[in-house]
Amino acid sequence: MESNKKYWKGLEEYNNTPDFVKNNKNEFAEPLPIEDVLNEAGLSTVTPRRDFLKALGFGLGAVTLAACQTAPVHKSIPYLVKPEEVTPGIPNYYTSSFNGQSILVKTREGRPIKIEPNPNAGQFFRGTDARAQASVLDLYDVSKLKAPALVKDGKVEETTWAKIDSFVKGELAKAQAGGKKIRLVSSTVNSPSTNAVIAQFIAKYPATKLVQYDAVSYTGMIQANQNSFGKAVLPKYNFDKADLIVSFGADFLGTWISGEEFTAQYTANRNYKSLENKKMSRHIQFESGMSLTGTNADTRVPVKLSEEGPALIALYNAITGNALPGGTLGNNATADKVIKLVAKELVQAKGKGLVVCGSNDVSTQILVNAINAAIGSYGTTIDLDNPCYLYAGNDAEFNGLVAEMNRGEVGAVLFLNTNPVYDAPNTKAFTDALAKVPAKISFADRADETATACDAIAINHNYLESWGDANAYEGYYSIVQPTINPVFNSRQAEESLLTWADAPVKDYYQFVRSNWEAKMLPAVGLKWEEVLEKGVVTATAKTAGAYSFTQSLAQVATSIANSSKAFKGGDQIELQVYENVPMRDGKNANNAFLQELPDPVSKVTWDNFVALAPKTAEKLKVKEFDVVSVKGSNGYSVDLPVLIQPGQAQGTASIALGYGRTKAGKAGNEVGKNAFPFVSFVNGTMQYATNVTISPTGGYYELAQTQTHHSFEGRAVIKEATFAEYLKNAGAGNEKGEHKNYDLWDQYEKPGNNWVMAIDLNACTGCGSCIVACNVENNIPVVGRDEVRRRREMHWIRIDRYYSYETKNGDVTKEKEIAKLEDLDHVSVVHQPMLCQHCDHAPCETVCPVLATVHSSDGLNHMAYNRCVGTRYCANNCPYKVRRFNWFNYWNDSRFDNYLNNEFTQLVLNPDVTTRSRGVMEKCSMCIQRIQGGKLQAKLEKRPLKDGDIKMACQEACSANAIVFGDANDPNSEVSKALRSERIYYVLEEINVKPGIGYMTKIRNTDTTVQA
Amino acid sequence: MRDISMILKSVWKSLFVFSAISVIAVSTVNAQDAKEGRTLFKAKCSSCHALDAKLVGPALKGVSDRHSEEFLLKWIPNSQGLVASGNPEAVKLFNENGKVPMTSFPELDETKVKDILAYIKEGEPKPAGDATVASSTLAKDQGTSGLSIAGIVAIVVLAIVILVILGRASKLLERLILQKQGIEIEEDVPLKVGVRKMFKNKKFVMFFILCLIICLGSFGWMGMWNTGVHTGYQPVQPIKFSHELHAGVNQIDCQYCHSGAFKSKNASIPSLNVCMNCHKAVQARDKYDGEVSPEIKKIYNALGYDPETQKYDESKAKPMEWVRVHNLPDFAYFNHSQHVVVAEDAIRKAKGLQPTEPVCFACHGPVNTMEEIYQYSPLTMKWCINCHKETDISGQKNNAFYAKVIEAHEKIKKGEKITPALLGGLECGKCHY
Repeated sequence: MESNKKYWKGLEEYNNTPDFVKNNKNEFAEPLPIEDVLNEAGLSTVTPRRDFLKALGFGLGAVTLAACQTAPVHKSIPYLVKPEEVTPGIPNYYTSSFNGQSILVKTREGRPIKIEPNPNAGQFFRGTDARAQASVLDLYDVSKLKAPALVKDGKVEETTWAKIDSFVKGELAKAQAGGKKIRLVSSTVNSPSTNAVIAQFIAKYPATKLVQYDAVSYTGMIQANQNSFGKAVLPKYNFDKADLIVSFGADFLGTWISGEEFTAQYTANRNYKSLENKKMSRHIQFESGMSLTGTNADTRVPVKLSEEGPALIALYNAITGNALPGGTLGNNATADKVIKLVAKELVQAKGKGLVVCGSNDVSTQILVNAINAAIGSYGTTIDLDNPCYLYAGNDAEFNGLVAEMNRGEVGAVLFLNTNPVYDAPNTKAFTDALAKVPAKISFADRADETATACDAIAINHNYLESWGDANAYEGYYSIVQPTINPVFNSRQAEESLLTWADAPVKDYYQFVRSNWEAKMLPAVGLKWEEVLEKGVVTATAKTAGAYSFTQSLAQVATSIANSSKAFKGGDQIELQVYENVPMRDGKNANNAFLQELPDPVSKVTWDNFVALAPKTAEKLKVKEFDVVSVKGSNGYSVDLPVLIQPGQAQGTASIALGYGRTKAGKAGNEVGKNAFPFVSFVNGTMQYATNVTISPTGGYYELAQTQTHHSFEGRAVIKEATFAEYLKNAGAGNEKGEHKNYDLWDQYEKPGNNWVMAIDLNACTGCGSCIVACNVENNIPVVGRDEVRRRREMHWIRIDRYYSYETKNGDVTKEKEIAKLEDLDHVSVVHQPMLCQHCDHAPCETVCPVLATVHSSDGLNHMAYNRCVGTRYCANNCPYKVRRFNWFNYWNDSRFDNYLNNEFTQLVLNPDVTTRSRGVMEKCSMCIQRIQGGKLQAKLEKRPLKDGDIKMACQEACSANAIVFGDANDPNSEVSKALRSERIYYVLEEINVKPGIGYMTKIRNTDTTVQA
Repeated sequence: MRDISMILKSVWKSLFVFSAISVIAVSTVNAQDAKEGRTLFKAKCSSCHALDAKLVGPALKGVSDRHSEEFLLKWIPNSQGLVASGNPEAVKLFNENGKVPMTSFPELDETKVKDILAYIKEGEPKPAGDATVASSTLAKDQGTSGLSIAGIVAIVVLAIVILVILGRASKLLERLILQKQGIEIEEDVPLKVGVRKMFKNKKFVMFFILCLIICLGSFGWMGMWNTGVHTGYQPVQPIKFSHELHAGVNQIDCQYCHSGAFKSKNASIPSLNVCMNCHKAVQARDKYDGEVSPEIKKIYNALGYDPETQKYDESKAKPMEWVRVHNLPDFAYFNHSQHVVVAEDAIRKAKGLQPTEPVCFACHGPVNTMEEIYQYSPLTMKWCINCHKETDISGQKNNAFYAKVIEAHEKIKKGEKITPALLGGLECGKCHY
């Protein structure tokens, strides 16, 4: 029995728009203009004989001259004095950390080229997110300043450190002497050493105060915990211990607090190993915009922003039996129904439930605390005794700073790792206030929005050039160590602070080391060198205590009701500004890898947009890609294109933050529009929701969206079942159709290894870190917005995101579905990583006229670039559409200036993988350089290859462990075990190409009791 | 008379023999000391001392004049002990030389130290007569070989000229005889007319064109096959580094400088600090009138090293730009360690290398005879593949990795010779990625 469920990637596919049909027919959107040449003057123009001879003569001469060169002169420049630990050609790995997570940095000949997860980092830090993977490109950013600079009348003039030091010291002394305040504004500082440095700085300049300000704030939660339990911290969440997860707008798999860690925890209860033990958690998501987490939910209920508070009150009432006012969801019957059922389940799952909320409103978070206390989450799924220090920003303090600056009380302000001129809620007010400060110093590495508004830019090292440490959780310390000498004349911010404070130890390495040796190391009994090797130090975790909630909620309920009422309805649209997975808060906007990483939900690259539900768009009389003007209640307005987003709550709109940078650099400038000014400061915290009016401008702007670029033409590529069905039959949803097998090909023998892969669709959340990891590992070019529009993105691995309906009434046919379009609110989503399937009977191989793509004896499909002549037959014949054609020399072409077109950025290239030239085809090689490297290592050590010796770049980056790679000839390998699962199916196996990558059916833990 | 001369002769003979013996005896006694001392000096002292130049330690020429033998006998085996004991002379010497402690040599007994001192006193033995002879014969040999070729060519040319002249002369004579006999003969046809006449001959033209096509065709064919093949490529290097001297005469192991070859894909050109391990001491001053050899000086310049003060000045350092000899295209992956470590035995066997020869010679040729390094092998894909097809690697079974792989392959390909090709070594992706 094959399911009749229809999957579609985008509305254009769903509606079968003429454009989609046309583009789908032509694998390559722009064919060669042969027709034009033949039809028009092309052939009838006469080439004069003399011209012909000239061209011939020149050609011959040029070729002769070029051929005269007997041998190319390549310079080979060895080290003058080779560092002992460096062997050219062999990578060195150093521990470091990125945003608090311990990582390994792979360096070759002294330059960092790849970020890997640190195996010591801890159980749930097993992958890295897209930002960490892409961060290595930031080191080689040409848009950075090359020396410290003074800014005079808006002009940035590079200068020396001596001049910076004398300027800053003078100004600080002046401020101190004049009784003015000194403010150090920073994003959350969780580094013990940096905190010690700041303490020394404050000792020298007592007028100084540290103001922690996060562009996307968690102040609401921190204050709610202070209010409820007297602990002003973010708790540590244990999603792995939760059987039932209810999230109200918290994108915990993507951008909320520690997305990759939560992904690892979350999937531990949902992946194939957990399913084999007949165990799977349940996840219900209430949200307005479609988030990455929402796409993974078992049940997702769209709620308006104004309904979020009432929904929580309703849930609280249903769980505790109290009757707080304001818990009515009159207009959203579905949500109302689901809330009641969820409440019942949460009570049943006492101690194994978890409710999280993405709101930054203190009252809302207090209510969430009350709910969690009622269902016994504290001590099990929530741990307040080992808190998380990743975010500690205080919105009120930041707001206070603006007031102080306005009153002229601040004599000097320093900006560390923050960019408020771009991301402050009210940019103009902040800039005006900043202008009243006599001395403004930025530690930015480039002349960004805030730095250009400052007087001095004391350029900071990239984190890969720095010493440092981080303290992400209570008792969890990680080290940051440099992996390259500073490339430019930069100085670490901490060292600058120590210099200005005239500290006794100015060398920051010495400072960090003595700080560790004094404070952290004695407790754990490790030596400094051992810490550098391990990268992370963990103290024994404290026992998580249970907390009960005793406060009155009356005031909280009123506050929530008022917030809810602030959304006026009518022609006003409820706008939510959110972080998307690639761009987050925009700090890394100049990273071309991140700009080109398709947003996991919308698959849009290089832009932000206004996401609207189909019905809302209809009401507003706008179509997809129409440019609309979004006007906020504070008067700020932007013009952005519309994206019709299935699943978006009606009457709401979503715009991603992090875009619209003006001084980020070549790649990041003027990409999308800035949505930070829509953020408002309400009730002491930043609020990321507001009222807007949306009106069409009549413009049209095509977003570079990859969602329908590689269509399967409606063939069944996704198989899924519910958890209930799975429990009855492990092969549910994976019924094999009967069809005869005819083989055109000879059987390939794979006596040695047989490299295969298994991908667990239930574990894959679609976050996209594998895509960036693959980009970095395999030197995959970034092509830019225009080329993506032409369907020429080069990613070897993509994540296909399919929408489908909730199966409400058994089988549904397409016609019926179209008739009731409101069902587009309730869509379910599957993410499917798609890469070269390394088919045993590969269709690409048979059509290659030059044998550039051939089969290997270890189950791989090889692609010899130097043999390829670019017919593109293989791409046309690939049923999975995973082959990519190089239309340009992307790494050496002035049209692609935002990426590799300079010698400095080219240092990021992996020297073990060649850069492909224009006119050749490429595709996933199954990281053959890693396979060969792993085999060589075993040969040198004279031992057989072990399972797990070789890991793919995508696999290594995956926090969810969704990708398993290994040798199918070894019956005990992890992948062999995974491939024996009854959930395994092969995409398009009916065409008998015998793919090497098995997918496991998607299992959803929906049942009849809770049905959206 | 005859008797007297006989006696005289015998006297002379015995005198000669006696004096010869005594001379030999004397010289051998002296030589024994100095020769032994020289060996010891080279082994123990030369890494820090030279006779007439300051290295780490001072120049040792005339050391016996500066210090008493008694002092030296104590100093050399255990200088630090002497300094520690507070011997004023020792302390002074220690301080004068930058307080760099001298290694202790407890194994040097009195005779050995005396031998060394004898060597220092006598100095480097004058270039022996036979050495000059040898080198001059070498030069002569080379001269002869060059000359002989020139000579042969000259003789051939001369012979041809003579033949032509003789031919002309005999023709002239013949004509004169004929003229004398009264027979008139036609004048010689002018050359031009002859050529023109030849080109009117269709058969000849056909033959000529055919030859031309064959010549040009084969020339073009060979040219095209060898496009981009740079066998024999020998670029001019910034330092006239002689592998013949280092790897040949001095027998330095390849690995000493190209250590990467045994660990990594890159054989790696040694960094200059590796050169300095020896060249801090080896300066070849004896060949350049006491000056440092200009080629060795290039190392010093690159490192910013001053041999007089023995100090490095990093600000003067600039990297050495060698010219790559072996250029593989970017799209071909080659790993040295796979070949020289993993497959060493198989390659040795396949290429018939002597046990004394390093495995590197299999592809790089007799590097120990190359005055300047050149590309020995064509480095074409055909060359790679041929070796992968022909090399028997069944001996690799003692490597557990291969044991497993070969076992798996033998199950399906019984009896075939086990080559890299059989194990998938010819597949595109094994080298191109």
